[in-house]
Amino acid sequence: MTKTNGGFEPVFCTVVPPHILDKLAQHEDPALANPARKTLERDAFERTHRRLTTVIGAPAVAAPPGAAEGKPHRTIYDARHHTDLPGRKVRGEGEDPGKDATVNRAYAGLGATFELYLKAYERYSIDGNGLPLDASVHYDNDYNNAFWNGEQMVFGDGDGEIFLDFTIPIDVIGHELTHGVTQYTANLTYFGQPGALNESLSDVFGSLIKQYTLGQTAAEADWLIGAGLLAPRVTGKALRSMKEPGTAYDDDVLGKDPQPATMDDFVRTGRDNGGVHINSGIPNHAFYLAATALGGHAWEKAGQVWYDVLTGGELKKDALFVDFAKLTVAAAKARFGDGEELQAVLKAWEQVGVRTA
Amino acid sequence: MRIRVRRTGGFAGIERQAEVDTSGRPDAREWQALAERAIAGGRGRPSVGVPDGFNYEITVDGRTVYAADPRLTEEQRTLISRVLKEGA
Repeated sequence: MTKTNGGFEPVFCTVVPPHILDKLAQHEDPALANPARKTLERDAFERTHRRLTTVIGAPAVAAPPGAAEGKPHRTIYDARHHTDLPGRKVRGEGEDPGKDATVNRAYAGLGATFELYLKAYERYSIDGNGLPLDASVHYDNDYNNAFWNGEQMVFGDGDGEIFLDFTIPIDVIGHELTHGVTQYTANLTYFGQPGALNESLSDVFGSLIKQYTLGQTAAEADWLIGAGLLAPRVTGKALRSMKEPGTAYDDDVLGKDPQPATMDDFVRTGRDNGGVHINSGIPNHAFYLAATALGGHAWEKAGQVWYDVLTGGELKKDALFVDFAKLTVAAAKARFGDGEELQAVLKAWEQVGVRTA
Repeated sequence: MRIRVRRTGGFAGIERQAEVDTSGRPDAREWQALAERAIAGGRGRPSVGVPDGFNYEITVDGRTVYAADPRLTEEQRTLISRVLKEGA
């Protein structure tokens, strides 16, 4: 499959429900049947592709011809307030910044994310093999979200009432791209505890990308996710706090930040895929505790341990918090021996109530 | 006709819910037609969707279907955004 268009045909896919496509595909008029068949084939292909990614890990995608080793290959698309992906190409790798600040921020954020993974962990793009980085901005109207669709990032502009442009915080860009890294490595199931670990890893590396870009130490970092994203009228500083989960916002429209910091307050819910954005507060806080106990640049020690677990091949896709915690202990030992790193990791999990033995 | 939309998940993980009662509304017919088409394209069970994507629950007169970004039908997208904007 070619990666240059993000893999999505703008026609049919998102518009026509599958049962209607089935009907159309059997139609005697080829003008109706052919596009429907094509769409079904593409849908089936994507489903199989995703399933295979789950089973055998994501395939190695060849770097684009001419792409220099160690350089990102970024493309930003403008969805122009529609929902067909990827939209119109507006900036390719090496092209000068244009007038659209959103496009420029997305381009810079992709570059910063690429840079942290390469410089800190010697990872060449999100698949480790130079995968081109695609992002679409200006998705839909007043769209209060950003997501990873399995192949590219998608950013909304926000409604201006509650949320501003989702490309503003660099940690949001890092968060979305890290969903890609997770998909190509541990491929944690996006539900329940493995889903909360998936979310937490995106927050951890999203925050590290911000810290790396600003040159901050663990003590200097704000440990916030989505700072600058909330509109001025909202009472809150960000969407999540790794330092103090549950304190990022408390607003009459948004409600109160529901994140727990420890297992005592673990939230059981069927919503939000079993609380993936809620219980991620627990592993988020464990990372914060380990990183601040160790001091210095958080990506060097705590980040290295977490990265080793994410990419080491032992983290199962249905891992629970305890499984992940045990692997961080083993990774700290393997990487740094029996020293302060190991002690910091052990103590961090103990403080959030996740057992490691 | 009562049309309720609940949106969960998303990057922020913040839930939103709204309901529209079409009875007595001058545009009731239009709402009903839209709701029926949106329901027809829905799934019977929730799906996991994509990381940080919104999940939607659309309930029309007690019948609930599920949908998730980015794979919404045009009717679902229109209905969801209208209910969340105009509903209470």
